[in-house]
Amino acid sequence: MITLTNLGKVFRTELIETHALRDVNLQVNEGEFAALTGPSGSGKSTLLNILGTLESFDSGDYQLDGKSVKGLSDAALSKLRNEKIGFIFQSFNLIKDFSIYDNIELPLRYRGLKAAERKQRIERALELVGLHARRDYLPGQLSGGQQQRVAIARAIAGEPRILLADEPTGNLDSLMARQVMELLEQINRQGCTILMVTHDPDQARRAGRNIQIIDGQLHDSTMYDPLAQHTA
Amino acid sequence: MEQLFYYLKVSWFSVKRAPLPYMLTVLILSLGLGVFFSNATFYYRINSDPLPAKSDKLFFPMMLLVPYQCSNCKPPSVLSYSNVAKLNASDIPSAKAAMYSAGGYLRLNAEQAPTPVTVRITQRDFFSMFDVPLLHGSIWPDNQPRDELLLSKATAEKLFGRTDVTGQQVLLDDRLFTIIGVLDQWQMLPKLYDAFNRNYLNPTEDIYLPLESGYDYNYLSNTNSSTFEDADYRKLATDGRTKAIHQLQYWVQLDTPAQQQAYRQFMANLVADEKAAGRHPSAEANQLVMMRDIVSYFDGESGDIKAFAIVTLLFLLVCVFNASHLSLNRYLSNQYEFSLRRALGANRSQLQVQLLVDMGLMSTFTLAGAAIIAYGGIKLMNYLWPSNSLFASWDLQLMLALAALTLLCSYLVTLYPSLRASFGSLNKQLKE
Repeated sequence: MITLTNLGKVFRTELIETHALRDVNLQVNEGEFAALTGPSGSGKSTLLNILGTLESFDSGDYQLDGKSVKGLSDAALSKLRNEKIGFIFQSFNLIKDFSIYDNIELPLRYRGLKAAERKQRIERALELVGLHARRDYLPGQLSGGQQQRVAIARAIAGEPRILLADEPTGNLDSLMARQVMELLEQINRQGCTILMVTHDPDQARRAGRNIQIIDGQLHDSTMYDPLAQHTA
Repeated sequence: MEQLFYYLKVSWFSVKRAPLPYMLTVLILSLGLGVFFSNATFYYRINSDPLPAKSDKLFFPMMLLVPYQCSNCKPPSVLSYSNVAKLNASDIPSAKAAMYSAGGYLRLNAEQAPTPVTVRITQRDFFSMFDVPLLHGSIWPDNQPRDELLLSKATAEKLFGRTDVTGQQVLLDDRLFTIIGVLDQWQMLPKLYDAFNRNYLNPTEDIYLPLESGYDYNYLSNTNSSTFEDADYRKLATDGRTKAIHQLQYWVQLDTPAQQQAYRQFMANLVADEKAAGRHPSAEANQLVMMRDIVSYFDGESGDIKAFAIVTLLFLLVCVFNASHLSLNRYLSNQYEFSLRRALGANRSQLQVQLLVDMGLMSTFTLAGAAIIAYGGIKLMNYLWPSNSLFASWDLQLMLALAALTLLCSYLVTLYPSLRASFGSLNKQLKE
């Protein structure tokens, strides 16, 4: 589903060039739940942003569903993001003066769906995250865990094929983090591919695969035994 | 339509998020536009064409028909009675009228206190040439002297309390005149038939009197008269008709280029005849000025208003610049939301539409603010310069121009910030 070939990314200033990613080769198959781990500054978020087409790359190639995203126009990239990719951010990124319903509606609006279909999808997503009763609340009226569940509802409302989560539990306590992880696992079981940046080794183990990045290079890609996960 | 309301809702939330900077942006822009527009109203009115269908057909002939030699002289702006008689000999113009203005005192009877009035002393073609509308009665059948006058509608209402007063008699400077007509509401703005010495800024006259009667009763011009020989101003009925007492403005209507060319030739021939008779010692200096050029010919363009127009334009530019700066701050503080929308699938075109709606909302507030400030500005200018108050009215065209200018300025104010917002980096804001 996702194929990266010799992908490289360089951040340039007047004085120095920083190679954020070097010769990254990666294959992620449909339905996988992969954790991206590594020390701070290793390039995890950069890789996730490139996968989400939020950031460009300088060398190599990135193919999504067998098609290269290189050279795609802004409109084509926006369409791709809107239809195939869902984002979950560490800081939730909800619009504070929009209701929960309106926040979840955002990606659906840009897809041009009719109001009735948008409503149907939003309600389905709210059911899944268990926040249907709070659809008219403002984000500030919810706990951190609930806000992240709203963000997950927003990400899945468009029924994307890939979910990109950047430290989705980074701002949550352990109980809420566990609830969010359970929700992500549930979504993954329904067939959605998930790539998640995390610093937490436990969460990395809960993903089926751990992709480790150190100094911008893919260092290790470990497949976990699902049985071992349960015993752990 | 639903999407439009959604965009309006997004803009409104954005306003509510930081109302003070937004109000300041609108206020600054409204101030610049309001000040500019209050001055532009005068500028537009003063420079407007009062007779667009005719302004290229009405001409003001001037000749150096004076009894002394003058090199490189411009012809006088007014003609003598005998000069007009010579020009009147031509039947090339479709219409022609000599005229001047004077002052007088009007009352209904000897017991009543007299009211000062302005008088236009003219000939019958004046009314057709300048499209003067008649409400009641008729104009003089010829240019003979007669004790008959026409009143403006306002004068009739003021004097009689009604307008249908044809046949009534009034005392003008204690001479009895019969009213033969009342004009309909008429205000030629600017009053280009009397352009010299910025008289075009004055209102049209209260009373219209036959030219010959004006001379018979020794009405001297109250704006522009001069003599080029020993003559008695007080004896207009005699010296005014025979000597070089210049006080007559003269207008001709020349409908076609052929007529205009023929009239120029007629004027040249007249100079040749006058030279042959020894009455035109100077070189030919004929002028045939089109009505739409008459103000600039007399250098009558208001320097104050022009200078003020430039100042207010510069002020508007400063306001646009400052409002743009405030707008940039507002958009940058909302950059996170733009980035989020883009991350969730909005393309730049969709964002631009959102920003255009945002601009439309700001234009609406700004237009309201600018209209109020412009109205206040006009009131202030009327108070400071009452003579300009005739030029303070707005029409649909002017209102549309204000709306268009507001839209343009709002667009300029939001253009750079919106481009910055649309092309900003996506990932940085979302990570913070």
